[in-house]
This record gives sequence, structure tokens and C-alpha cells, in this order.
Amino acid sequence: MTTLNITYNGLSSDVPLEVDGAVSDADVRRIAVEMLGLPREDTFQHYVVDRFRGPRGEERIYLRPKVPFGA
Amino acid sequence: MRILFCGVGAVGSTAAVLCRNLEATLVFIDFDRVESRNLLAQAFVKPSVGRNKAEALKLQLLNLYGVKSEAVGVRLTRDNVEALCQGADLLVDCFDNQASRLVLSAFARAAGKPLVHGALAADGTFGLVRWEERFVPDAEDSPGQATCEGGEHLPLIGQLAATLARAVQDFVKHGARRDALVGLAAVTPTTA
Repeated sequence: MTTLNITYNGLSSDVPLEVDGAVSDADVRRIAVEMLGLPREDTFQHYVVDRFRGPRGEERIYLRPKVPFGA
Repeated sequence: MRILFCGVGAVGSTAAVLCRNLEATLVFIDFDRVESRNLLAQAFVKPSVGRNKAEALKLQLLNLYGVKSEAVGVRLTRDNVEALCQGADLLVDCFDNQASRLVLSAFARAAGKPLVHGALAADGTFGLVRWEERFVPDAEDSPGQATCEGGEHLPLIGQLAATLARAVQDFVKHGARRDALVGLAAVTPTTA
């Protein structure tokens, strides 16, 4: 089981993701648009896809805003 | 131990204040001055308006907490990075632009200095703490795009700064180099 974390519009949530094989960054962005029912397909065009392994080896994917700045 | 906070705006100033308990010399590098609008998101107080940020933070730590620190009120550049950072045992990157991050990153790699980055999304919805060996700066969509001005993002700034300060403390006490993702819902460690 892969977990996808999406941060968007002042909210952040984990959602389960059933995938067979590798998921490309473009797939992650498209899936997030479909999950949230957003009208614009390019909503996450400037977002970053981060991939990590959790403590039990599970895959976690983060779809997050860029952090070029320190504020 | 000598810890250099490079950039003491919102993240840097708040994280530095949370490192005041360490048995270390804290050094602040920042060329900018405190403005009134900074007071809602950064760890500065009204009497510091107009002062250099590094100097202002040094005075606040001394006057409010009795903690001695050092201030360097200049812009970090390729020309001075070696002179300013050579004596550091730990570098903490809290800059607000990619160019300065890259200057610091290049120096740290060449000199073999430990470097931890703290960064916050411009919309105040996401933050990262990541050590140099795993850090890749995100590309800027447009040079000079807006940063987190005003106080509306202060809770997440505080959460990120606290996570960064914890990373610094873990390094000082245990030599650990822990990364974290700081979101609106949770702080998630991303390395053991």
C-alpha cells in the first residue's frame, strides 16, 4: 500500500493509493487532480513530488508546494 | 561548538531563539534590517526596528535571556563565504533565496562542513528540514517571488523553526542528522 500526502488550499491529508508498479510524477499530479475533483489539470504543475520509505518500508509520496524560500 | 545561522528572518530568528539552551556559540549572518512588518512573523521586537537583523538578534538574546552570541551583518557571497564559515562546526541555512543557498551548499560540500537546511513554502503550507547530503533546492518559478510576509503563517513558521532547532540539537548532542517534512497536519521524520 502506498500513501499519498497532498497539501493544497490550506489543508493536508494522507490518502491510500492502490498502484501496480511505478507511478510517475505526472501520474501523481493527475491522480491528485482526479481525487480532489479539480477543474484544472495543471493545478499541481509547480508542485514537487517527494518519495520516502516509512519505518516499516511502506512507500509514502508527498505532493507539496515548492520551498525555495526560508520566509 | 560554533553554529552559524545563515539568514535570520522568520525561520532563522525563531530557530536560533530555540537553540539558546545549547552549550555552543551561536553566530548570526544577515545583511538585512528589521522592518516593522517583520515583527509579526519573525523573532524581533519593536525596539529592534531599523537595526541589522543579525545584530538585533544578538542584542535580544543577551538582553532577554543573558545568552552571548555573535553577529555578522553582511550578505554571504562566494567571495566571503569561506572567510565567514570556515570556523563553523555546523551551518544552518535559513536563507530566503536559492542563490544564497547554493553558495552555502557549495562551500559546505567543498569544506566538508555539516549543513542543515530549513525552508518554508511561500504560501506557508509546507516546510522542510533536510541535511545537505539529501537536499536539492526546488526551482524558483520566478526570481524574487513573494515570501511569507505578515503574520498569517506564524504557526507553521514556528513549527518548522522548532523542527529545525530539534534537528540542530540532535546533531549537537548525538551527531544525528534527521530530516523532516513539516505539513499542516503533522511533522513527519523522513530518516531514522
